[in-house]
Amino acid sequence: MSYQSQMNRAGWVEHFNDMHKPLFVCVGLLGLIGVMVLYSVAGGDFSPWAWRHGVRIIGGLGLIYALSTIELRSFYVMAYPLFGAVFALLVGVEIFGTKNMGAQRWLDLGFVRLQPSEFMRLALVLALARFYHGMHQNHVSHPLNLIASVAMIAAPCLLVLNQPDLGTSIMIAVTGLSVVFLAGVDLRYFMAGTLTIIAAIPVVWQNMLTYQKERVLVFLNPERDPLGAGYHIIQSKIGIGSGGVFGKGLAQGTQNQLNFLPERHTDFIFSNYAEEMGFFGSLALLVLFILTLFLIFRIANQMRHSFSRLAVASMGFSISIYVIVNLAMVMGLAPVVGVPLPFVSYGGTSLLTFMASIGVILAMERQTMADLPK
Amino acid sequence: MSLFENESGLFSRRLFALGGMQVSLFALLAGRLQYLQISQSDSYATLAEANRVNISELSPARGLITDRDGALLADNDRKLLVELVPEQAKDLDNTLAELQEHLGLSNARVRELRRRIKRGPSFKAIPIAEDVDWDAFAAINLRLPFLPGVSPRIGEKRIYPEGEAVAHVVGYVGDKTAADLRRMGRIVGDTVGRSGVEREFELDLRGTAGVRHVEVNARGRTVRELETNPGQPGQSMALSIDVELQRLVSQRLAGHSGSAVVMDIETGELLAMASVPSFDPNDFSRGVDTRTWEKMLVAERKPLLNKAIRGQYSPGSTFKMLVALAALEAGLVSADDKVTCSGVYHFSGEMFHCWREEGHGPVNMLQAIERSCDTYFYDLALKVGINRIEAMARRFGFGAPTGINLTGEKSGTVPGRDWKRANYDTGWRSGETVITGIGQGYLLTTPLQLAVMTAALANGGKRVTPTLVRAQETTSPPEPLGLAPEHLEVVQQGMYRAVNKPDGTAYASSLLIDGQRMSGKTGTVQVRRISLTEREEGVIPNSELDWHLRDHALFVGYVPHNAPRYAICVVIEHGGGGGQVAAPMARDIMVALLRSQGQKPAADGQPQAMRSSTPGERS
Repeated sequence: MSYQSQMNRAGWVEHFNDMHKPLFVCVGLLGLIGVMVLYSVAGGDFSPWAWRHGVRIIGGLGLIYALSTIELRSFYVMAYPLFGAVFALLVGVEIFGTKNMGAQRWLDLGFVRLQPSEFMRLALVLALARFYHGMHQNHVSHPLNLIASVAMIAAPCLLVLNQPDLGTSIMIAVTGLSVVFLAGVDLRYFMAGTLTIIAAIPVVWQNMLTYQKERVLVFLNPERDPLGAGYHIIQSKIGIGSGGVFGKGLAQGTQNQLNFLPERHTDFIFSNYAEEMGFFGSLALLVLFILTLFLIFRIANQMRHSFSRLAVASMGFSISIYVIVNLAMVMGLAPVVGVPLPFVSYGGTSLLTFMASIGVILAMERQTMADLPK
Repeated sequence: MSLFENESGLFSRRLFALGGMQVSLFALLAGRLQYLQISQSDSYATLAEANRVNISELSPARGLITDRDGALLADNDRKLLVELVPEQAKDLDNTLAELQEHLGLSNARVRELRRRIKRGPSFKAIPIAEDVDWDAFAAINLRLPFLPGVSPRIGEKRIYPEGEAVAHVVGYVGDKTAADLRRMGRIVGDTVGRSGVEREFELDLRGTAGVRHVEVNARGRTVRELETNPGQPGQSMALSIDVELQRLVSQRLAGHSGSAVVMDIETGELLAMASVPSFDPNDFSRGVDTRTWEKMLVAERKPLLNKAIRGQYSPGSTFKMLVALAALEAGLVSADDKVTCSGVYHFSGEMFHCWREEGHGPVNMLQAIERSCDTYFYDLALKVGINRIEAMARRFGFGAPTGINLTGEKSGTVPGRDWKRANYDTGWRSGETVITGIGQGYLLTTPLQLAVMTAALANGGKRVTPTLVRAQETTSPPEPLGLAPEHLEVVQQGMYRAVNKPDGTAYASSLLIDGQRMSGKTGTVQVRRISLTEREEGVIPNSELDWHLRDHALFVGYVPHNAPRYAICVVIEHGGGGGQVAAPMARDIMVALLRSQGQKPAADGQPQAMRSSTPGERS
């Protein structure tokens, strides 16, 4: 019996009652915090960011709900076509993309500007999960299979790297590799890979763009360029540090209100939050993220199909990497790589992708028992 | 069976590994959060505050300087100025070129600016132009977005409404320099007093700096004012100077090189102190260029020198009163003792001439002061001896600063046996006592010292400390010199006669206002040696000599003769005879002073005929 027919009988309300609500609520809360911080960032004003973010969160929650009603089999069937379509979009960006701040990331469709690189994470996870689904453990570590999966990861990564968008490229790579790791590929490959990366660092360094090199150098020593690239990190640390234990109060952060923080509505939003909400507020946000991720991983561990298992766990891992890298960046522990804070940062495509991931996760959670071809 | 693929537990193990990695990373983030927000919170709070708050110093308004009646001698005005912080200028050449065009700077000025920019620290603002006119100021403000580092601002400038007349008293301010900062520590505002009262009372006039805390955004734009402490404006001060009298004094002295001092004999307040030629302090507060400055420094008549306190002259005959007092005090002579003057005095093979070639005949002390007989005082000096003369000179304050509240005062010289040995390594010769008796030789005094001496003669023998500040309780009380009133009476009589008797050397300068007359003493100081042949052929009159060879003209006096209040001293360098040049100036000044005191001038106090019957005089 197909799930779709179940749903038709159960109806929309019962379907909602059937949903895994803790995760849904966590995501809603994170979005709400985003609205609150964006309101503060604008100096206590819902425009220009807070109300749009609110609308997107509500739309996103609707999307989660909508995606969660889709049949598991559809994801399975659509995994490869979706990957192919998003890959085509990436190629499209390469050809028709709009230049923005020195990087070619956007595909302007006239009514909406899309950043296909963000969708790629989701598509890649589904495609790789589909690839490893039902594969016998003896075959998982087979070199040919490994080469196939690495090629699936590398192709989009190189395209995104060429935009150039190092941050998103790394995120796609790490997310894809997490599927490979969770699928049970022999750890020796990972060790070999790690050694290769270490060996490749000088070569990569040679081929990095000046602004990328500069970001790494400035990360290693922000004072190298206190008014330029290092300015972000220094001002962000000042913002967070000066918040102290209890914070300066909503819309009271001087670093924020006086524009010392750049990009404070997108990548550096946590700096503003920490300045105004203080240590306890920051810790609370951290706990909320951990709770969200814990719920996702618990769902992953309950899945019966390796397709669902791998997809849920990797999507959760992807979110957690975004959170960790973003927070490490604003706290001066990682270079500035242009990674948003999931659900909280203002932004269209990345938020859409995160919301979609949650929708897919909830769809899978609901259909643990659904049939999938072997 | 796809449902149970996880049996091996491989997925769970790997998921657990990933989860563990994430937990440790989140722990790291929490630790970082703790480090930033708790451990280092204070230092980051400080940094945020430093980001947010811009502290600027408010320079307080400088205290005003007025005369004794409140007329402004130094005032403040606003000026428009343009500064440049070299470090902030993107393109220094272009910036300078544009500033040069707007401000009409000369190429030389731009070269000088370049030198200063190269020398100085690049973060320090360098003044480009001061007193910029409004059009240029507005034009630069308009171009400001394209001229980073340029800051047009409104500053304060000092103006001196009286200009040259009080220049040496009030002094002037100049831009502060590194040397000033070393000398006085931190200075608020742009300027410091460079000379005169401006320098002397710098600390009072300056006030204390205010502080303005403003909140700025990341672009440095002021968002709001947080707190402002306006500081303490400088204290205004009233000088003892009477500006109208001062003006008259400098007008009367104009064209000469010299100085005049009018002093209250009881309080030591200076009602006028003028030195000519003078300079316009307004030129200096604007910043005088090096060439003009150097020209003034080397000028023969020394416009920058306050001759009243820094000019040192032999007192000449104005010193005779002290020789007389020394003799009377020692009981060596009586005022009635006569000496016969033949026009020349012989002593140990040397000839000492009286200024009156034909001599004065037999004269007593009163007549000797009245007519300024040199022979009488040659004789008297020898009787008294240099030791007593030296002691008396020192009692009247010669050889030491008067203690006026102006820096740079000279002490003058009082010669004596010890002084001679110390400075010339030879013994004192009696011939030197002879010429010291008429105030010549090594003796040097400042006009202000002579005014203090005159005041002491007039006030019953008290030495006052001159001051430029209107009577205040801090003025040290006059110091009694222990002189017998009857001896002073003799000297005062002599001085009265010198001005008011037909034979007196200053008779032409006598005055009568409401029954008040002036007493005084002329002095003519020879600055060249007159040879024997010249004496035989007739001494060349001053008018035929080069300026720098002419005699100095001196006059000291006081009014009113019967109840003294004000002392005066006029010294005109190379002016000629004291009676012909200095005394008439003193008379005019005193007439003005007595009239301004509310006394109506006697309409015809003195018959015209009496005035014109000028006795021939020198010394």
